[in-house]
Amino acid sequence: MKKELATFIVNGEQYEEAITPNMTLLELLRERLGITGTKQGCTGSGNCGACTVLVDGNPVLSCLTLAATVRGQNITTIEGLAKDNVLDPVQKAFIDYGAIQCGFCTPGMVLSARALLNRNPNPTKAEIKEALAGNLCRCTGYVKIVDAVLAAAKNSGKGG
Amino acid sequence: MHRKIRPFELIEPATVKEAAQLLASHGDKARVLAGGVDLVSRMMRWQIKPEYVISIRRIPGLDYIEGDGKIGLKIGAMTTLRSVELSQVIERYYAILYEAVRQIASIQVKTMSTVVGNLCVSTPASDIAPVLCVLEAKLKIEGGKEDKIVAIEDFFVDVGKTIVEPGQIVTEIQIPAVSLQTGAAFFKLKPVKASISKVNAAVMVGIKDDTCNKAKIALGSVAPKMIRAMRAEETIRGKMVDEALIIRAAEVAAEESKPITDLRSTAEYRKEMVAILVKRAIKAALERASKSEQERGKQ
Repeated sequence: MKKELATFIVNGEQYEEAITPNMTLLELLRERLGITGTKQGCTGSGNCGACTVLVDGNPVLSCLTLAATVRGQNITTIEGLAKDNVLDPVQKAFIDYGAIQCGFCTPGMVLSARALLNRNPNPTKAEIKEALAGNLCRCTGYVKIVDAVLAAAKNSGKGG
Repeated sequence: MHRKIRPFELIEPATVKEAAQLLASHGDKARVLAGGVDLVSRMMRWQIKPEYVISIRRIPGLDYIEGDGKIGLKIGAMTTLRSVELSQVIERYYAILYEAVRQIASIQVKTMSTVVGNLCVSTPASDIAPVLCVLEAKLKIEGGKEDKIVAIEDFFVDVGKTIVEPGQIVTEIQIPAVSLQTGAAFFKLKPVKASISKVNAAVMVGIKDDTCNKAKIALGSVAPKMIRAMRAEETIRGKMVDEALIIRAAEVAAEESKPITDLRSTAEYRKEMVAILVKRAIKAALERASKSEQERGKQ
């Protein structure tokens, strides 16, 4: 299998990597670039959402994305949300509201919430639940997560 | 179980023609990559091991929703379910399609999946296929000897199998204009909100002078491919439709279905649920059709 040099833009930084076509975006991020905030959950079933990243602002599952197909596109992981050591309002609200327990679903949850708020700065509770339907949490029961996103919307509107 | 995807060669043609030629020359060893949700997940499980993956993602001009309810709609091969969900034209004129896509839970999956890909996977549980069937959609297939346009109900062959041959690519979905005196509705039954259908039903009816002059009923998850309940359609077509006739048509639809027992449901339960869903869908479609007729009266 041929390796090809490809340019990836992750959190605004450019990376040149020689990759084979069978490498997923999740593998590229975690194993090659060492950007491990993106989590490997169900891997390949499209069920859990733990591997969610934003590609050109849209939430996608990095475990089902072949890395080569998103070269040159803007990839945002959880590491890319805080700016100048200031957390994104969604991240801050997750902490303030105790919306994190084990934390494994959190990066995906936060990115799905961020994508929602960028499109719809004042979502209803129902709209938040819908936006997070592709992200599973096995600890919280979701109530505090939804509350946190509501609060982030109130505090900031469009941030991040 | 998740494994490292087996080695393959990724080819990214620049035109549909080039892609079709690649698919023709590589035959069974090649697969088309669009959204990748189905393809990549099955490659990860080693269920399929293509030697060549032909990506149509970088072919320009395949991501579009064109037209509206008055002139008909065209949806390109790279258009995602999410684009359909966010399209105001589709929400306004083709509410049944909007509603079916909305019920697919994960935003991420909808952001990645293409509408055409959903059809090409040829799962009998597709929510999109029955809906497009009652909307009388056609598919444009390019490549091979000549390009052709086929009705969606002639597209599916079996589980995982369509009429698409090596060297051919589905490039467009074409949906006719909405006729004013029609109404359509879609219902699905699933274990939890995010799950795929254990039974689904789409109905389109037309009404003129209190008589049903048009009836299309399509069912998913109750046969190896999406089916039309033609005898149920006959039951209501050309008649004044009342409650008793709706129940009769729903029972006929259940008789026409050929479900199996699998981990999502039993055959017996599915058959009974066909009757329930078809009954609800006919009622909802009739209501919409008469509303559309009233609105027409006002104009």
